[in-house]
Amino acid sequence: MEAISVKGLNKTFDYFKKEPGLKGSLKSLFWRETLYHHAVRDVSFSIEEGELVGFLGPNGAGKTTTLKILSGILYPTSGEVTVLGHVPWKREAAYQRQFSIVMGQKNQLWWDLPARESFALNRDIYEIDRGRYERILGELVEIMGIGHLLDVQVRKLSMGERMKCELIAALLHQPRVLFLDEPTIGLDVVSQENIRAFIEDYNRTQKTTVILTSHYMRDVERLCRRVLVISDGRIIYDGGLADLADRYVDHKIVTLRLGRRVPDDVLARFGRVSEQSGLSVTLEVPKKDLAQTAQALLSALPVEDLSIEEVAIESVIATMFGQRPGDRGEENTTAGAAQPPPVVESDRSVHGAG
Amino acid sequence: MKRSGISAVCAVRRTFRLYGSFLAQNLKNEMVYRANFVLLVGMDLFFMGINVAFFAILYANVTTIGGWTFHQTLILVGSVGLVREAAYLLFRQGFLELGDYVRTGQFDALLVKPIRPNIHLGFRHVSLTESLGEGLMGLALVGYGFAHVGTGWAAIPLYVLMLGVSLVIYYAFCLAINSAVFWIIKSQELNSIVYTFMETARYPRDIYRGLGKAIFTFVIPISLIATVPASVLAGRLDWGLIALAVIVAVGMMSGATVLWNWSLRHYSSASS
Repeated sequence: MEAISVKGLNKTFDYFKKEPGLKGSLKSLFWRETLYHHAVRDVSFSIEEGELVGFLGPNGAGKTTTLKILSGILYPTSGEVTVLGHVPWKREAAYQRQFSIVMGQKNQLWWDLPARESFALNRDIYEIDRGRYERILGELVEIMGIGHLLDVQVRKLSMGERMKCELIAALLHQPRVLFLDEPTIGLDVVSQENIRAFIEDYNRTQKTTVILTSHYMRDVERLCRRVLVISDGRIIYDGGLADLADRYVDHKIVTLRLGRRVPDDVLARFGRVSEQSGLSVTLEVPKKDLAQTAQALLSALPVEDLSIEEVAIESVIATMFGQRPGDRGEENTTAGAAQPPPVVESDRSVHGAG
Repeated sequence: MKRSGISAVCAVRRTFRLYGSFLAQNLKNEMVYRANFVLLVGMDLFFMGINVAFFAILYANVTTIGGWTFHQTLILVGSVGLVREAAYLLFRQGFLELGDYVRTGQFDALLVKPIRPNIHLGFRHVSLTESLGEGLMGLALVGYGFAHVGTGWAAIPLYVLMLGVSLVIYYAFCLAINSAVFWIIKSQELNSIVYTFMETARYPRDIYRGLGKAIFTFVIPISLIATVPASVLAGRLDWGLIALAVIVAVGMMSGATVLWNWSLRHYSSASS
């Protein structure tokens, strides 16, 4: 069943240009130039119930704006959206009881009170009956391992602990759809891993539909089979994570351990040398000549060990977004990215707001 | 028709229950800061004292102002205190915080919950202490005045009802003014407008003449807020005035709700 349907979604923000300095401020009191920022442009996608989809893209690409429209926080400029059959910006309680949004940079818990109090308040807001509430809370607290923190003031918790509590607060009413905007931002590696494991497990066992945005590629790699890549408000890729590498990268990574030093110019004959430390060398080798090159390496060089790997998804994304906006679509000189991303118009008027 | 009536009753009951939860939450929150509590109550008592002294000096020279005697005026001043305290218990503090919510994008969280954002906002900032002193002092003044004007006990239910109507007018006024927050992002100035007008509520409506009277009745109906309930208790019952207050309350509330809902569409959220 389709859980989320988005067709031709657009969101344009207008804002005022202000010249720098006091003079600019005075001028802007009387006369302002209105500028438009197209945060989301003609975005369409469909997500099935139970899917866990990743939104990827640089800051200001439109990820958060899209999530806010799906949550009913923002009105779109145009387009059709239904989530679980509801139009989000009508803000119907029937819809609001069925979804949750967690924003890594915002806090919905009561700052001066223990998390337990915020949970109890959510119980009353969502009208969860006591028995069910106790059971769900018990389960979530156990999985997260934060039983000992329930009675500690929220402001005294670490960021990781707080995010766990934020997630619990968002899940008490058992939402069918969950939007996670940077849920691991600012967390240490261990906390990130815990949150990831939790989301993965929760999606699998509860069949909750999840959209996740993250800057951390590990989040996406671990959790999402499908990704939507957004750039300048447009979707430039919608598909499997594995295919992303195939489509945007035409080389693999060959790592060699050599018996003795080999001159650089000899190595360069086999592929682009991306890393070299002592006797360990990393080469980027075009996929089409991979077998041939591997054979040639083994016969021509004193190779002790050789391994072939896919390019890390992180580098794929870096390749996709590596160019400045103005450079997009031009002849691509970055090694390895023989297939440039689709042409993206660079007529946007502002960067950063998202 | 009947079904919608029942569901409306359920919604009201549910809102009251929810208010109870929020109130408890806020009390716990306020008790974290004890010194603040004492300071606020003390300040309120001080300012109410100044008000009473002001009228005491006036009435040392005249016997009535706009037809109101000293004891009737005490009921009026006390009623303003009661309305203000009730407002702080229900919604006022929330509106004071609204600008911060909008500027930081914290308002997002209110928009996704199955409870109206304006009600949620008020409940989230229930403040017992903010005007507790004013409320207690108000109660004392109303009691003292009532004991001297010699109106019967029978006036009390209507008085309480009209306090409720005044509260609706006050709420509608706050809601309408604060609808502008989604454009100007700061709520401090907006709420000082509300505050300034509320200051004028403690004078009897009868002191205004002509255009001033019309403005303070229909455009900014603050003059009704204290005058109407106070007239009931002060033995100056005027059914025409009561009908006027009810009509103004219903009209303003409808208008303010439409304006607020329309303004919500313009909330642009802070980027995060």
